[in-house]
Amino acid sequence: MTFFQWLPQMLEGCLITIKLFFITIAFSMPLGLILTFLYTSKNKTVNKIISFYILIMRGTPLLLQIFFVYFGLPYLPVIGEYLTITDRFTAGAIAFILNYAAYFAEIFRGGLLSVEEGQYEAAKVLGLTDMQTRTHIVLPQMFRISLPAVSNEAIILIKDTALITAIGLSDLLKVTKTIVNKTTNVSAFLVAAVFYLIMSYILTIVFKKIEKKFSY
Amino acid sequence: MEQLIKVEHLKKSFGNVDVLKDINLDVEKADVVAVLGPSGSGKSTFLRSLIDLVEIDSGNIYIDGNALCENAVYPSAKKKRKILEKTGMVFQHFNLFPHKTVKENLMLAPLLKKQGTKAELEEKTLRILKKVGLTEKLNAMPNNLSGGQKQRVAIARALMCDPEILLFDEPTSALDPELTGEVLNVIRDLSKEKMTMLIVTHEIGFAKEAANKVMFMDEGYVLGFGTPEEIIDNSDNERIRNFFAKIKY
Repeated sequence: MTFFQWLPQMLEGCLITIKLFFITIAFSMPLGLILTFLYTSKNKTVNKIISFYILIMRGTPLLLQIFFVYFGLPYLPVIGEYLTITDRFTAGAIAFILNYAAYFAEIFRGGLLSVEEGQYEAAKVLGLTDMQTRTHIVLPQMFRISLPAVSNEAIILIKDTALITAIGLSDLLKVTKTIVNKTTNVSAFLVAAVFYLIMSYILTIVFKKIEKKFSY
Repeated sequence: MEQLIKVEHLKKSFGNVDVLKDINLDVEKADVVAVLGPSGSGKSTFLRSLIDLVEIDSGNIYIDGNALCENAVYPSAKKKRKILEKTGMVFQHFNLFPHKTVKENLMLAPLLKKQGTKAELEEKTLRILKKVGLTEKLNAMPNNLSGGQKQRVAIARALMCDPEILLFDEPTSALDPELTGEVLNVIRDLSKEKMTMLIVTHEIGFAKEAANKVMFMDEGYVLGFGTPEEIIDNSDNERIRNFFAKIKY
């Protein structure tokens, strides 16, 4: 098996990695935002539920959560049979989305707390409604403040995707491992490392551009 | 004379600290009231209560005849916005929206409140920026302005909503001394245009020259209310005399 034989397989693995990355980002960020607003609402019960959710998601390993969604859900009493997810990718993606939503919720909450009280007061004395204040004043500043942390989280995510290897998906890491076994040669690992590095590097550059665009 | 603000028996405490104990005040149209007094006397809290940034515990507040608060009962948020439509405020720390340009800062509220078409409001923005001498900063971001410029933009932003009453909470206290003049000049111009204003300030000289009334507060009470000459120069109250003797403006 030559380099040019296994490189296409690795690129295919990359596609799965990238797909998981984008699906996770696309769903976990809006979900995180919703969690943030529920968490900062005045309803105490809602607050408790959200903080419990965040505690579970951040306090247990992502790998365990992936196993739980894929292998564990069907064994739940009564509701288990309705929660069986047979598609490995879907199961993995759901675990990733639920987990990352918790992290994004905390990031956005930090951003929200950093918006100064004076901004709310200025909006109020100008006669803006709470909704207008939120959409035009608070959210844009919250996103800007959160950007560096979001960027950091995205880079962690691109590497975390390797965890879905554990439920048998042919992502970059899984493909690489198979190739190493076949070729009895470590070079595929090095190529995989370069792939991950390139993806992280691209993310770094993209986020730097976004940060610059929204700087004030 | 038309009465724009009437305050009766206003009381406010934070926890068990009584900040405002029994405030009564009448402000007539075109009055410029300087609110003076030592730190912690409740000046800012009082000013903020007039625009619903502080909810009072008892008493009445009438803005242009409408009850913002009667016996500590407030109307709905929507009604309050309506009552306070003609009241604007300028803060010590400007509170400009940092993610928006000067133009966007000025246009945001009137656009959202549909107080004119975009073209009309753009024209108005230029007119008001000219008034505060900042036409060339139309597209600047707030963080690229000096403190004095920021405060003038904040005043311009308040003027965009055509206020009849403007409240100033220590408008020059966060500024370098050489920058206070440009802000005070703008306030002076507004008083010439018969804008009704309440100004919490430590600039006694400015108060004496630009205000037609002085409200002296101490420990949550109004100790004196009258013309600048009556209060600043010739008060018969010992506390007030001591205060002005000490600061020797």
